[in-house]
Amino acid sequence: MSILYDEGQQAIATESRRVIEARVNKEELLPLLETTGRYHEGYWATAKEQGWTALALPETYGGLDLGLIELGLIAHQVGRSLAGAPFLTASFGAAKAIELYGSEDQKAKWLPGLASGETIGTVAFANGANALPARPGITLTGERLDGIMTGVSGGLAADVAVVFANGSGMPMLAVAELTDVTRDPIASFDNSRLYADLAFKDTPAETLAAGGAAREAALHILALQAVITAHEQTGGAEAMMEIARDYAVTRRAFGQPIGAFQSIKHRIAELYGLVELARANCIHAASREGQSDFIIAAAAARISATEAYDTASRDCVQIHGGIGVTWELGLHLHTRRARSLAIEQGNLLFWEDVLVDRLTGEAA
Amino acid sequence: MSDLEAYRTKAAAWLASMVPTYGKAARQGLSEADDLALGRQYQKAKFDAGYAGINWPTEFGGQGLGHLEKVTFDTEEMKHGFPSFYFGISLGMPIPVLMQFGEDKAWVKERVLKALQGEEIWCQLFSEPAGGSDLAGLRTKAEADGNGWKINGQKVWTSWAHYSDYGVIVVRTDPNVPKHKGLTYFWVDMKAPGVTVRPIKLVGGDSHVNEVFFDDVKIGDDHRMSPVGGGFAVAIATLMIERYVATDSAGFGPHLDLFVELAKDTELNGRPAIADGRIRQQIARNYAMRSGLQSITARAMAMMQAGMTPGPEGSLNKLVAVRSRQKLSELAIDLQGSDGFTYDNHASQKEDWTSSWINAPTGRIAGGSDETLLNTIAEKILGLPQDHRPDKGVPFNQIPA
Repeated sequence: MSILYDEGQQAIATESRRVIEARVNKEELLPLLETTGRYHEGYWATAKEQGWTALALPETYGGLDLGLIELGLIAHQVGRSLAGAPFLTASFGAAKAIELYGSEDQKAKWLPGLASGETIGTVAFANGANALPARPGITLTGERLDGIMTGVSGGLAADVAVVFANGSGMPMLAVAELTDVTRDPIASFDNSRLYADLAFKDTPAETLAAGGAAREAALHILALQAVITAHEQTGGAEAMMEIARDYAVTRRAFGQPIGAFQSIKHRIAELYGLVELARANCIHAASREGQSDFIIAAAAARISATEAYDTASRDCVQIHGGIGVTWELGLHLHTRRARSLAIEQGNLLFWEDVLVDRLTGEAA
Repeated sequence: MSDLEAYRTKAAAWLASMVPTYGKAARQGLSEADDLALGRQYQKAKFDAGYAGINWPTEFGGQGLGHLEKVTFDTEEMKHGFPSFYFGISLGMPIPVLMQFGEDKAWVKERVLKALQGEEIWCQLFSEPAGGSDLAGLRTKAEADGNGWKINGQKVWTSWAHYSDYGVIVVRTDPNVPKHKGLTYFWVDMKAPGVTVRPIKLVGGDSHVNEVFFDDVKIGDDHRMSPVGGGFAVAIATLMIERYVATDSAGFGPHLDLFVELAKDTELNGRPAIADGRIRQQIARNYAMRSGLQSITARAMAMMQAGMTPGPEGSLNKLVAVRSRQKLSELAIDLQGSDGFTYDNHASQKEDWTSSWINAPTGRIAGGSDETLLNTIAEKILGLPQDHRPDKGVPFNQIPA
């Protein structure tokens, strides 16, 4: 895969940005923070209508046969505009797990709906601090799931979940329909991510992979999602850098634009560096899908994108002064999103360990 | 295989064949004079093999190839530790400027050929005691003297001036106009009467930079390479040459693999240091930073190959890489604890953490300090305002000292 975007890819970036900016705005996003269970429906309708849900899935099942590069470009724009609803990443992760590790029947059952966006998928692997726990929080006995998965992103709306479960002493990757699962909404700092605790009770599930293969498969799915999330984070970081720059050239104090003070301009220049490093790592990682160094590249993208978004949202607010912490200005939409995306699909600590394990040969 | 890959393969093979004669082992223990002599031979060997002046016009003795071939060769060459740094400035800036702005083409060609073969070395006389980042604030002056000029003043941080045959110099020819407008660009003979070169010993123990004093140094007007008062534009042109150079995401310090090896071999609290979260975090963050820089470089190369202009993010490399190298070097010395006091001032800063650490500040200052680079990013890329500059528009001789 080339690390240069071709014309088609550039068109995806331009067009998706235009559409999202036209249809998603701050005034619609702010109220979503104060309630659970709601997301920006216009955005998700757009994602379906534009074929973004189908983008990186196989044509046989209604997909468009494109890949991480194209989906990453969409995610970048989504991140810029805080379009929210976690399904672009969550559904993609569930669909890839079924595509890569499922049977023909499972693929035929789930992929067309996930590709059209009519079915919403999610991935539930984490147990608190552990993105890929040694002892998963739920058990798979025979073909039944029991236990509680906490903090599942998109969990309030998902129709199907791919879960990492404990199956008589070994890890299992399984797919389960969520119709009869009890969902306990989490009152969160970023409510449109639809976080929920999912309580499985004798819930029918089908195995996708078992034992060491299940762990390897789960990590691969997390890495695929992490590359998409890293693009979203980079988009958010880029937006915060630009907002900071725009404010610094217009706001005046002590007789000059505040951007003329080095404490401000150097801070923004540092953000530029973080954003460009994250972008470069994202492009590289997206181009390495299917290669032996993909996990390393995904980890590097995730680490630099998390650092970029957290830092940009922190510094952008600081550069604004008092106005920056008002509800109305909405910078906190990014501050919140920077943190929610930092946790989804494994936090920094997780990806740092994944990366170092591979660099030192501790992991195969 | 693309043409460029074929070029890389051929260059790599040629470079490998040079290792026994000019590589690190061959240079071990040589005095600087002997190392320079070896360096001149190596430069001649490059010229004979067609690897000198790779992207320079053939009419001046170059190879007439593109920038990509040049960067490709440099990237391969960097892996070996050949004695090529004596010629880095000479061939990097003064000679390209001479080709662009020198009036007497026959004379220019003679100089270019001698420089390409390592026979002559040129230095660049820009920085002064009163101004490094503030280049246009320089004070060395040239006054009209008969048909020519007479130079008085002092330059500083001049790399390899003590071995140089010629230099390019920016001087003040008119103190009555604002600082940028009173400068003129010349070349000078470094062996001329009145030129005194005094090496400066740097913290790492080496003395490759110098103070250069000019006392009534007389030059003809044919030494002039810019209009009178038009020297600043040529100086900027000098600094803009080779915007895309071979980069090193390690900041010209040790490879991250060496740090990983050190962490594996070091015991901390009864466990290998590589199991310590603080060490692991630094490895991970450094890896992510370096891989980002490498990807930026790879993308710039791909864009140039496709005939496109790379983005400005290439300017991040030195800023990001060198200061990270400085911190990682400190941590590497920490990791060695009481075994970390040893110091060998002949050790390579690409292989030895202590040498890397002690020399890192030079890297963060030379060729644009971190702060200057941040200003450039802020102003040129992001469109942020210039700093408050009280000397703007004020005649040079009225700027408060």
